[in-house]
Amino acid sequence: MGKKKSKHAFLLFFLIGVCLTAGLPASVLGAAKPIVIGGSLPLTGQYAETGQWIERGMRYWAEEVNAKGGLLGRPVEFKIYDDQSEVSKAVTFAEKAITVDKVDLLFGGYPGTAARAVMAVAEKHKYVYVSMGGHMKSFQQGYTYSFGAPPLMGEWWYEGFFQWLATLPANQRPKRAAVYTINNPVGLSLMDSINRWTKKLGIQVVINEKYNAPLADATPLIVKAKQLNCDLLFSNGFFPDGVTTIKAAKALNYNPKAIVQGIGSVIPAWVKELGRDGDYVFSGTSLYNKLNYPGNDKLNAYVKKKYGLDGYPLYFGFGYAWMQTLEQGVRGANSLNQTKIRDWLKTHKVHTIAGPMTFDKNGLPPPINFCTQIIDGKVELIWPKNIRTREPVYPKPAWK
Amino acid sequence: MDPVLVIQSLISGVMMGMVYALLGVGFSLTWGVMHVIHISHAVFGLLGAYFAYTLLTLYGVDPVVSAMVSTPLLFIVACAVYQVLIRPLTKAREMVVASMILTFGLAIILENLLVLVWKADPRLLTPSYASESWIIGPFYLQYPHLIGFALSLVGISSLYVFLKKTTTGMAVRAAWQNQEAARLYGVNLFRISMITFALAVSTAGAGGISLALLYSFEPHSHNLWLIYLFLVVIVGGVGNVIGTALAGLIIGVITGLSMAFLPYQWVNLITFGLLMVFLIFRPHGLFGEVG
Repeated sequence: MGKKKSKHAFLLFFLIGVCLTAGLPASVLGAAKPIVIGGSLPLTGQYAETGQWIERGMRYWAEEVNAKGGLLGRPVEFKIYDDQSEVSKAVTFAEKAITVDKVDLLFGGYPGTAARAVMAVAEKHKYVYVSMGGHMKSFQQGYTYSFGAPPLMGEWWYEGFFQWLATLPANQRPKRAAVYTINNPVGLSLMDSINRWTKKLGIQVVINEKYNAPLADATPLIVKAKQLNCDLLFSNGFFPDGVTTIKAAKALNYNPKAIVQGIGSVIPAWVKELGRDGDYVFSGTSLYNKLNYPGNDKLNAYVKKKYGLDGYPLYFGFGYAWMQTLEQGVRGANSLNQTKIRDWLKTHKVHTIAGPMTFDKNGLPPPINFCTQIIDGKVELIWPKNIRTREPVYPKPAWK
Repeated sequence: MDPVLVIQSLISGVMMGMVYALLGVGFSLTWGVMHVIHISHAVFGLLGAYFAYTLLTLYGVDPVVSAMVSTPLLFIVACAVYQVLIRPLTKAREMVVASMILTFGLAIILENLLVLVWKADPRLLTPSYASESWIIGPFYLQYPHLIGFALSLVGISSLYVFLKKTTTGMAVRAAWQNQEAARLYGVNLFRISMITFALAVSTAGAGGISLALLYSFEPHSHNLWLIYLFLVVIVGGVGNVIGTALAGLIIGVITGLSMAFLPYQWVNLITFGLLMVFLIFRPHGLFGEVG
């Protein structure tokens, strides 16, 4: 009888023990509780293609980190919400990730309008936020927890193009520019370098017009540029308006010396859908898959194997690079304390696929001046000269 | 003001407006005849565009041929959609509201299906003549604009002739004008509604292909197209085929002239300001009947 009683007591204690331990944090038990990195991406809607590439880049980073034993000895995992390409939802999900899910870290969102709005949320809750940001103004709000690593800066976008143009003999440079800009913060941010450099190089801005999206028709834009003999065309917009402008330029046989396009030409669809008509367009970037920094080859090999692509798409790289920065901040601080991570990032150099970076008080690295040109259906880096992948084609050959 | 710029802007504006009219004419019919505000109408236009894109990229089929093939195919699909989804709505107390909610849901489902099948990447319909022009003096008539315009003319004229000259077409018009009277004359309203819906959807397919010749498209593009649909239908008058076509032309002219005379950032303001003016002062449109 006594034996039976003690058997029951043992069983009871065992069960209580199981129940209690089940409720304890895994870390207390020695099991590694995952580090949860939360936020939202535009996985459906207008920016879905880009959002999905960012997610792939982030997930590849997580695979790599987990394969090497995780971060601070813990595996990493994502809690990704789909903000459906809506800024208001991106803000809501950032709040939710921080206050409801209580995630350990935040990841960067897209596009710039969403990132800019989330930067304020991150600052309010004192969470480190590594993203592309929303151009220069977003980094001039006094935020201390936001970092652009690398950022997508309209103000720097054409810096490389103009630096290259300045190397040409003055008589070979364009003389008259037509500038058409989408009327939103992204488009307007591109004007910064155009205004500075056209003055410096003596290029006359003959047309300087804004348009609201959607661009119903680019024919009048091109007719005007052609009539006013503009030999340099800036199409400061996204993919849909960029394509409409290029198609009209070809249909109207408008052949300026150079066409410079905003951010429409950096997505893979530009080359795939426009084919040879998309060739010779100049643009900028803050990341490029043929950069000679550690990690790029590995990423290129991965996307070749997984997606059959020659070189990783830009936003795959962005997603990866932002996580690289966050990872180094966490490792450097040896903590998930957001202020410690921030302080470490402010005072140390990080190494990313976009190159080594230090950050100023606004969370920005020194200006990036890459210039690309699409040549033979490939995005080639033509500036800075020392890391050039192809000689630029200039003046642009006439339409075929 | 440079006359070449004005005329060139007018030409391309009119062609663009006519393409929106083709997409809008079916939207107008379902609204006028069936009291169904078909929010997923433009998604069927996108389906047409993706169909043409696939045939062009895989087999080199010209988009005009695709438009001819997609029209009967979408007619059949639309008959099925009508039977399964729209017909049960006739029991709803508020047909207009119920139809909007239902077709809004349908639009979301179809959009996601488009993402699944064709991915979210933007696409371009680029037949060999995609960037070619017919040059007349100083003017350039872009082939994609011309073909979109021609498709629209044919589509709208066919629909007009069908409604005016055939017995079924007359029954559609009778149902639109007075459903009870039409029923008394032996018109089968369900059959007429199904034909109207199917016609509307099949013209949407052709309209989508015409638009895809002009612009890039992606699965969410229907949201943008829908705004233009409301514009042409409200300006033209709900249920009025010719009104919708003329509204397309008028909007094209206004857009063209705005682009020639005003800063470009004013164009959308003027176009959609026009929509508000119509909604306030002439809600039945330019060519619609009061009430």
